[in-house]
Amino acid sequence: MSVAVDVAGVTKTFGKGPLSFTALRDVSFRVERGEIVMLVGPSGSGKTTLLSVIGCVLRPSTGRVALFGTDLAARSESELPEIRRALIGFVFQGHNLISSLNVRENVQLVLETRGVTRRNARRQSEELLDRVGLSDKLESLPSQLSGGQRQRVAIARAVAGDPPLLLADEPTAALDAEAGLGVTELLAGLSRERSSTVVIVTHDPRIFGFGDRIVKIADGRIAEENAA
Amino acid sequence: MTEPFDVARRIAAVKRHPVTRWWATIGVALRMAFHARAKFVGTLLGVVFAAMLANFQLGTMFGLLAKNTTFVDNANADLWIVPPATTFAQPGQRQRTSLLDQARVTTGVASASALIMVGTSIAKPGGGSEALTLVGVDLDTMLGGPFSMVVGEPGVLREPDTVIMEDAQRERFGGLNLGSVREIGGRRVRVGGFTWGLLPFGPAYAFADIDLVREIGNVAGDELSFVLVDVEDSADPVVVAAELQQRIPTATVISREAFHDLIVSTLLSQQLGITFGVSTLFGLVIGFVIVLLSMYSSVIDNLRELGTLKAIGYTNLDLMRMLVVQAMVYALLGSIVGLGLVAGAAEGIRSANLSLVIPHTLVLITPPAMMLLCVLASFLAFYRAARLEPGMVFR
Repeated sequence: MSVAVDVAGVTKTFGKGPLSFTALRDVSFRVERGEIVMLVGPSGSGKTTLLSVIGCVLRPSTGRVALFGTDLAARSESELPEIRRALIGFVFQGHNLISSLNVRENVQLVLETRGVTRRNARRQSEELLDRVGLSDKLESLPSQLSGGQRQRVAIARAVAGDPPLLLADEPTAALDAEAGLGVTELLAGLSRERSSTVVIVTHDPRIFGFGDRIVKIADGRIAEENAA
Repeated sequence: MTEPFDVARRIAAVKRHPVTRWWATIGVALRMAFHARAKFVGTLLGVVFAAMLANFQLGTMFGLLAKNTTFVDNANADLWIVPPATTFAQPGQRQRTSLLDQARVTTGVASASALIMVGTSIAKPGGGSEALTLVGVDLDTMLGGPFSMVVGEPGVLREPDTVIMEDAQRERFGGLNLGSVREIGGRRVRVGGFTWGLLPFGPAYAFADIDLVREIGNVAGDELSFVLVDVEDSADPVVVAAELQQRIPTATVISREAFHDLIVSTLLSQQLGITFGVSTLFGLVIGFVIVLLSMYSSVIDNLRELGTLKAIGYTNLDLMRMLVVQAMVYALLGSIVGLGLVAGAAEGIRSANLSLVIPHTLVLITPPAMMLLCVLASFLAFYRAARLEPGMVFR
């Protein structure tokens, strides 16, 4: 297998001087292509910071991050949005759908952003929403959906355009147990179909079993790595 | 074995169809703008207010300018011979009638007529008097004669001791009607007709035969106020004006258009320009501030969604495009509504004392001017959006 995510000696410090805070300390770890990794740990341990660094939305203070062999440090700030469009799909804790767009448009928007023509984007978004069980909600606004349904839309949006890397931040945090399991099952299933690499930050031990590996972070460091 | 992964090819793929991406960006911008209806209406009202106030002020200013140039515009004279340093067509320094003879023998002149303007007063039946500008007209040519008539015909001035008065001043002059008899400058005259809207900043115009005005205003037989020249169709007015000016260096020969412009520039350089300029500017500034605050507040309300867009790959340029599109929509809709309201007001006012003149140029300039205003006002919102870190979506 080849390496999808290569984090080497990453430290991330916020602020300067006596009020500075170091969220990641010399973190190194790898995720193989097609692997599903659960990033776990207590609140404030640095999980989300690490996810942000991998997702190219935060630059590390020191160390190196490479995605599919591409060193992010060598890329300028203006190139990072292109890398995110090309390589990464995000699932956020609070679904983060665009409230003024309906379900289909939320997914279609990402496809159009990824260079898919409007007609194809519409077709693909409808197929994806059918796949996540929301074909009857295409014209609904996010405010008209349940939490679980919104997260399903968020998953469809994340996998739209087949990004090779999916990053999910606490995807079950706002859901009840049943919906949480359903959403994780869907995310894992879709990513395995597409051979996508997945990194999921979670507190939820019930979904650990969907991962290939569990990486535990504590106090900004990798504390433990186990097969799921 | 997993296939080798080509990042460069992936990046090239997302760069395809940039126009689709731009359209998607525009679509999101519009949906976001229309979705928050209260904010949309508030912002739109700001633009409507700015467009309306600016057009109302400028329309009023153009209306007042038109009132002061209308006499020159409608006198049917191609050229005017006026005393030096003249800036308005109003009573003032007198000139010699010999100018008439000099004008008539100049090549290219079809006719030349004397015009006399005197400042006088009209006695009201119940006592008291009102100021009046009495215009003495050569009835053979009717150059400088009455126009915009609502009652009667200019030819009525051929009847003895007859004047044509301003309709809008009927009540002010003691309830004038057709056939009313009044004293103007101590001479009893009869009202033979009415004009409408000939109200410059000075007293209203009244028209009479030139000889009658000479008597009322005690103007000597060899004096006149202006010489009005009609140039032959085949002659070039510029050439005729130059020849006339050479022949009579003691007076100023000015074309109708130049006289119009002189009056406008004189008024604008005085209080009129400053007053209306400042109030127009206030309207624009208030509109600018409303749009600026509304768009900024809209960005603050949508920080999470904008952060999400950045996280999924939107650039600052995309966000700028979104805000500019929103600003342009506000500007376009606001201009249409604002201009519609001003047009309605202009139609509704229809007063001889206050008329709103909205030139086509002003109508055409309003939308781009509002677009400029709104786009400039969106920069603060863009500044905030550009500073937004996409990582905020994980917090």
